[in-house]
Amino acid sequence: MAVRERVTPEAGKLVDMSWDPITRIVGNLGIYTKIDFDNREVVTCKSTSSLFRGYSVFMKGKDPRDAHFITSRICGICGDNHAVCSCYAQQMAYGVKPPPLGEWIVNLGEAAEYIFDHIIFQDNLVFVDFCEEMVRATNPSVWAKAEKADAPHAELHGYRTIGDIMRSYNPFTGETYKEALHMSRIGREMICLMEGRHVHPSTVYPGGVGTVATPTLFTDYLSRLLRCLDFIKKAVAMNDDVFDFFYEAMPGYEEVGRRRILLGCWGAFNNPDHVDYDYLNMEHWGNEMFVTPGVVVDGELVTQNLVDINLGIRILLGSSYYEDWANEETFVAQDPLGNPVDKRHPWNQTTLPKPQKRDLDGGNYSWVMSPRWYDQRTGDYLALDTGGGALARLWATALANKVDTPYVKATGQSVQISLPKTPNTPEQTLEWRIPQWSNAIERDRARIYFVAYSAAMALYFLDRAFTELRNGVTKVFEDFDVPDEAIGCGFHEAVRGVLSHHLVIRDGKIANYHPYPPTPWNGSPTDSYGTPGPYEDAVMGQPIFEEAGPDEFRGIDIMRAVRSFDPCLPCGVHMYLGKGKTLKTVHSPMFGEHG
Amino acid sequence: MKVGKPDVKPDAPSHVKGIKAGNSKGNYERQSGHNPDGTSTAARSTGVNPKAHDPIDPSMPNLSPG
Repeated sequence: MAVRERVTPEAGKLVDMSWDPITRIVGNLGIYTKIDFDNREVVTCKSTSSLFRGYSVFMKGKDPRDAHFITSRICGICGDNHAVCSCYAQQMAYGVKPPPLGEWIVNLGEAAEYIFDHIIFQDNLVFVDFCEEMVRATNPSVWAKAEKADAPHAELHGYRTIGDIMRSYNPFTGETYKEALHMSRIGREMICLMEGRHVHPSTVYPGGVGTVATPTLFTDYLSRLLRCLDFIKKAVAMNDDVFDFFYEAMPGYEEVGRRRILLGCWGAFNNPDHVDYDYLNMEHWGNEMFVTPGVVVDGELVTQNLVDINLGIRILLGSSYYEDWANEETFVAQDPLGNPVDKRHPWNQTTLPKPQKRDLDGGNYSWVMSPRWYDQRTGDYLALDTGGGALARLWATALANKVDTPYVKATGQSVQISLPKTPNTPEQTLEWRIPQWSNAIERDRARIYFVAYSAAMALYFLDRAFTELRNGVTKVFEDFDVPDEAIGCGFHEAVRGVLSHHLVIRDGKIANYHPYPPTPWNGSPTDSYGTPGPYEDAVMGQPIFEEAGPDEFRGIDIMRAVRSFDPCLPCGVHMYLGKGKTLKTVHSPMFGEHG
Repeated sequence: MKVGKPDVKPDAPSHVKGIKAGNSKGNYERQSGHNPDGTSTAARSTGVNPKAHDPIDPSMPNLSPG
């Protein structure tokens, strides 16, 4: 665990190091650290955001049926996750259950989103930190080892040494880098087939979809999926080789980005055989999701009940630029099961922005609030992270031991993924085992396994969709009326982790709406109880393995730690080294070398 | 350039109560070619004279377009 003592820079050996912005889509994440170069350790870390969005403010008074179209715009990369989550919340409020075929189409669209987004992030952004050019510059001795180290899975991916794999990750020129861009395009085509458009779906609505279900639609999807599978099988083997090499080449590297195992997963891929979007049955249908929801604390599955998960959510302040809403209106005093709903729950939140100067020294320093999960057993407000999404999903699903399909099986300690023979590769069974640590490497490793998971689940969803079609079923939408008064909540997984939308309808209009995407959980500042957010916690106390001194320092280990959480696409990093010296490291595959 | 006074505030909700909504209950049944059991027929292909799209020979299967 990180030491959380406040250390003043007078000690002499501490150097302020800041990265602001570590961009998401709209660059708004800053990491401010103090580094002890003598002891090669990060001493303090603050995660800040300088951007106010205000969705919860301007959603009020809107027609609830617009919610998914508007909230989709929260993100420019996983907007469809928001649209789908909003539809889940609306479906609960309207009391409507989409036809099964509509649900399979949504699941297929979301599976393609996980495939596309995880691939572009992993291979085009994360691996810039693990590529030849970066490792050669930051850790020359590691690069020398990599060039000589045989790749254990060379027969699967065709690269003889670890150095060869790293060379293929080089931005703009590396083979894997370029192939991944192509794969992410195919993934986006798959989403467009099912959801009409990417990033903001045009055919996803509460009550179902507007996609016309035809055999051609699903075969078009399948042919693209099979092309992706060839890449995925190779990519998993390459990822395992590189990450295992890092553990081996730099003993102690498991401490980079390591924090206590505090993971949240809100579940994904509803099962139309069970889901009815009724809050009263939420525990049952939540458990039947094809990614099981769950809260994992110190390796133990504390709950997999969506009702418990919902009621445990608390939005704390402490270091954020907002007024408290303790004296504001309580919208939902009890949930439909009669359980009391806390004042700090998203259903009862009122957003009261209070712009002010950033104060990193004991004051407020971020527009992000501090979402926490109240653990009834201990009375702790846990700063859950999502492990970049994939780690929490796999971990909760493995422990819950519920998912059992022909392609994906949870075992209690692992998740087995069976991929069929595809044009260039034989059939393959992968197994993701629960790792020893929640750290940067394991977050990154889980990501590529979850791509395989999604691809395998997509094969199952296609089987089920084809069965519906062969029975002549084409219905994809169910009619509904909007009630005057209702509440709803949607639980889903955005690509980089937990996603919830909480909705209150009065007079047929939105009275309160609060989306909670993964990055507020991961990037939250220190809360009113003094608990640091996950980025802060993971970086504080982590060792520095970079071989360069303060003058040439790139902060690669810190970047690997923060990026492992997938803080939406970090496409540009501007680095400030104090005393007016600014280094700019640009990782921007979309906008060219000088983006 | 002179423009008129706007009739609607920018934050007005997109739906006005009382106006027919496409999502309302009962609309599925009113659409041609959509059967109550979730299957559909050739009549689904258009709202203009949809019956004309049914097969010319009753012994032929009445398939949904696509």
